[in-house]
Amino acid sequence: MAARPFFTSLRRQPVVVGLLVVLLLVLLPAFGLKGIQAIAAEPVPIRVLMPAPLADAVAGPVARFNASGSGVAVQVIRGPLDTETISDLAISSLLLGEAPFDLLLVDVSWLAKYVAAGWFLPLERWFGPEILAAMEPGARLGNGLGDHLWRMPLTGDTGLLYWRSDLMDRPPRDTAELVAISRDLQRRGRVRWGYLWQGRQYEGLSCVMVEMLQAFGARWWDDATATTVLDSPGAVAAASWLDALLRDGVSPKAVANFAENDALQSFAAGEAAFLRNWPYAWREIEKGEGPVTGKVGVTTMVGAPGEQGGGTLGTWGLSLIKGSPHPEEAVAVIRWLTGPVVQRQLALEQGYAPTWSRLYDDPELQRRAPLLAVQRQALQHPQLRPLTPAYAQLSDLLARQVNGMLTGQDGPGQTMATAQRQSQQVLRSVAGTPDRAPRIP
Amino acid sequence: MRLLVLLWSLGPLLWQLRTSLLRPEALVAPLLEGNPWTLANYQLVLSGDPPFWRYLGNSTLVGLATTLLTLLLAVPCAYGLQKLRGPLRWGVGLALVGAAMFPTVLLFLALLEIARSFGLANNLLTLSLPYTALSLPLAVLLLRAAFADLPGELEDAARLEGLDLGQRLQHVLLPLLAPALASTAILVFLASWNEYAIALTWISRNDLLTLPIAIARIGGGSVFTIPYGAFAAATVLGSLPLLLLVLLAQRSIVSGLTRGAVKG
Amino acid sequence: MRTRTSSLLLMLPALVLLATVFLYPLLRYGWLSLQASSVLTGLLPVPNGGANWLRLLDDARFWTDAGQTLRFALCSVALELVGGLALALLLHRPLRGRGPLRALTLLPWALPTTVMALGWRWILNDPHGPINGAIRSLGGTSYGFLSTPATTWFFVVLADVWKTMPFVALLLLAGLQTIPADLEEALRLEGASRVQILRRLTLPLLLPYLSLALLFRLAQSLGVFDLIQVLSGGGPAGTTESLALYAYLNAMRFLDFGYASTVMLATFLLLVVALGGGWLLLRRGGIARATERPA
Repeated sequence: MAARPFFTSLRRQPVVVGLLVVLLLVLLPAFGLKGIQAIAAEPVPIRVLMPAPLADAVAGPVARFNASGSGVAVQVIRGPLDTETISDLAISSLLLGEAPFDLLLVDVSWLAKYVAAGWFLPLERWFGPEILAAMEPGARLGNGLGDHLWRMPLTGDTGLLYWRSDLMDRPPRDTAELVAISRDLQRRGRVRWGYLWQGRQYEGLSCVMVEMLQAFGARWWDDATATTVLDSPGAVAAASWLDALLRDGVSPKAVANFAENDALQSFAAGEAAFLRNWPYAWREIEKGEGPVTGKVGVTTMVGAPGEQGGGTLGTWGLSLIKGSPHPEEAVAVIRWLTGPVVQRQLALEQGYAPTWSRLYDDPELQRRAPLLAVQRQALQHPQLRPLTPAYAQLSDLLARQVNGMLTGQDGPGQTMATAQRQSQQVLRSVAGTPDRAPRIP
Repeated sequence: MRLLVLLWSLGPLLWQLRTSLLRPEALVAPLLEGNPWTLANYQLVLSGDPPFWRYLGNSTLVGLATTLLTLLLAVPCAYGLQKLRGPLRWGVGLALVGAAMFPTVLLFLALLEIARSFGLANNLLTLSLPYTALSLPLAVLLLRAAFADLPGELEDAARLEGLDLGQRLQHVLLPLLAPALASTAILVFLASWNEYAIALTWISRNDLLTLPIAIARIGGGSVFTIPYGAFAAATVLGSLPLLLLVLLAQRSIVSGLTRGAVKG
Repeated sequence: MRTRTSSLLLMLPALVLLATVFLYPLLRYGWLSLQASSVLTGLLPVPNGGANWLRLLDDARFWTDAGQTLRFALCSVALELVGGLALALLLHRPLRGRGPLRALTLLPWALPTTVMALGWRWILNDPHGPINGAIRSLGGTSYGFLSTPATTWFFVVLADVWKTMPFVALLLLAGLQTIPADLEEALRLEGASRVQILRRLTLPLLLPYLSLALLFRLAQSLGVFDLIQVLSGGGPAGTTESLALYAYLNAMRFLDFGYASTVMLATFLLLVVALGGGWLLLRRGGIARATERPA
């Protein structure tokens, strides 16, 4: 038996030839196409990760900033549109300890988690208390934790109540009126549904719950004991009210599968008297030639009779990543991006609520952004989602339980008791012991 | 019948091909005038930052490194296992079958920790370490079956001629194993080319992404923002090497699995 | 004794790497599942007295996902076995152009899952995908296939079957090639029909291969991750979320490594139970019968 050399025999294999062909196909252009890049005295690059819509919204101002010759080149990384997906993208980089960006646009509901993970640098060195004092009260919330400032707010959005000005003279003052007006209109056949909101099992339902808990004088989170208080009588009343909306037909059963867009579409088609949504919905309704265009008013979220209502805070802001090679330049970018010039443009073009008080006093802005007065009013009593690093888990299980109630699995009392019990379990499992639970480090 | 099977297998791919060649406007509504066909999607993908070649190159590099390393480790292991007798042989064989079945995704967290503590992240060559481990069980099982097929007298004769183990492997055994090695190499290369969960957690730098992650990231946004034409072009470009490979190596893949399945 | 030592030495490098990648994670999860290791502990492990496991027992999302994963695995594996068998029988016949046909049917299996998951998303797009295009040209209105739980689930299964059926077919093809042609010929001379040959000869002899494919595919599909993450993201409202995706979210989105380890270990245990059950069923049923027959 002749010992054939290994490689000669391999050469007869089409497979190996195939592998080599593939390799050539792939690698040749990779090296061939690599051009020689011009090396010049380049300005300091500051990379900002933002969700696509906000990245597009600031594209114009960013181009102007880069052209101004400040020695800083802002590169906006256009992240995915979905809030959770962009957070996933950021986390997967940060976990490995190499952040490919200097600044991150942070949703208010992620802040505690990122801070606890130790991924941000505090900002109070550059932004003193007098700076936040120039903002509306609601816009100041959700940026500081412990003794530090972690985020400079860019937008001041809150949940709002949309109402049909062709069906009523004035918006309801409380939850009871909202139901009464709805049922009256439905009985008279003026409109199919009363109130549309987000009941799908997702973060939007948690935002609705924050508002309803406030409306009934209850809370989700107790800061003093650092734990959830979801089984309080007020909380059960809040859940019961939502449950009754479906059972009494004020809201369609389909609300249990509604996200923001579904609710908005149905409302814009003239199917309901009231809608809970964010400020962007106004522009969507007004820009078309829909059946309700020009017939919609906007007001702040109502409370139960005798209670103060409030909209959930859904603000975005910029945070500085720890390990950024150019913190000073990055802070300059924060200062400029969150400054009045950019915010003014965001308000005019996209309807985002500004955070600076003086923008609300600007007569021209008032004229061209009709929601401004309501947005300012809403920022006087905004509702924060629990500022705990475990918020994502708590929100997930509350939305799951409440959605279960809406689809008829459990009654309100049972639903909230289960949510409370499971929240306690999550906190115990996450923090070690319940006593050590959610205090911000 | 044949046509039906081909339609089922290739239909979705052909649709991607069609999408990749259409102008974006033509995807949304039939064009009333003008030529709807274009190569612009390919230009867009290839001139991206980083260009798409980069991802193909990354995947090829990881694939080749993994294939090489796997064969280097699997050949001695398979030989040793074939020579082994007793309960240990049975135990190792069973463990290998279990590992071959193991769903990869369940490993990612511990591997992520390893990558973090040893600084293995964002490196295409270190990525081939876990990939090698994932491919090893199947590779060892296939190669052991191939070793078992070789007549025993052959090696005895070589031993009598005074060849040591390395020489026996190089001059006698491996040449005879070439078909099995080739088919194993292909399966390993394919597995590493397609791996997702570990690449997702080990690589965060944009210029080091492997093909599956890069493509998933193009589509990671919302339904509204995916540039489907460009994405389809990326799919076609990413599939071409595999199409070539499978067409060339079809016989090898089938025969490799045949042998493995019979003995495994 | 000498061969034994040298055998073990030859196997050592591979076995060390295998132990690091397969065994260490399981041990690590076992330990981490008894710790709190989250943002609240600075991502460092702190013992929490089994709180993770108590939480798991009461975690509606885990058990919902477990049911969904099992349902997904059983449905797609069943379809893959039936379809794969048909495909293998077709490819086994001497046809003109069999080689290229085999290669082309194999292609879906060779492509990255994520690539085709996005391809399916485009095909199912509302309203611009081809399916909705066909519906509209027939006078219907577009349908949100990926925003309705039932259709999303259906297409996740379909996409999985599309991708892995060729693999099952390949395994069974390997089995078909071991069946001697003269046995089939003999049966045919006895006047047995095609269906009878399939039932009396082919299927019994294929049983080991069918069981192998079944167990292998069951294990893989109980760990389904990339297909679902890209095609549906687990939605709508978590109705297609799998256990592996939930574990991934616990680690990467909630930064809760203690609980993520618990979910992963629990998934692994469920998998062992499911495979063990499947194995026992197969042994009690088919394999015993099949091995009694002379091959």
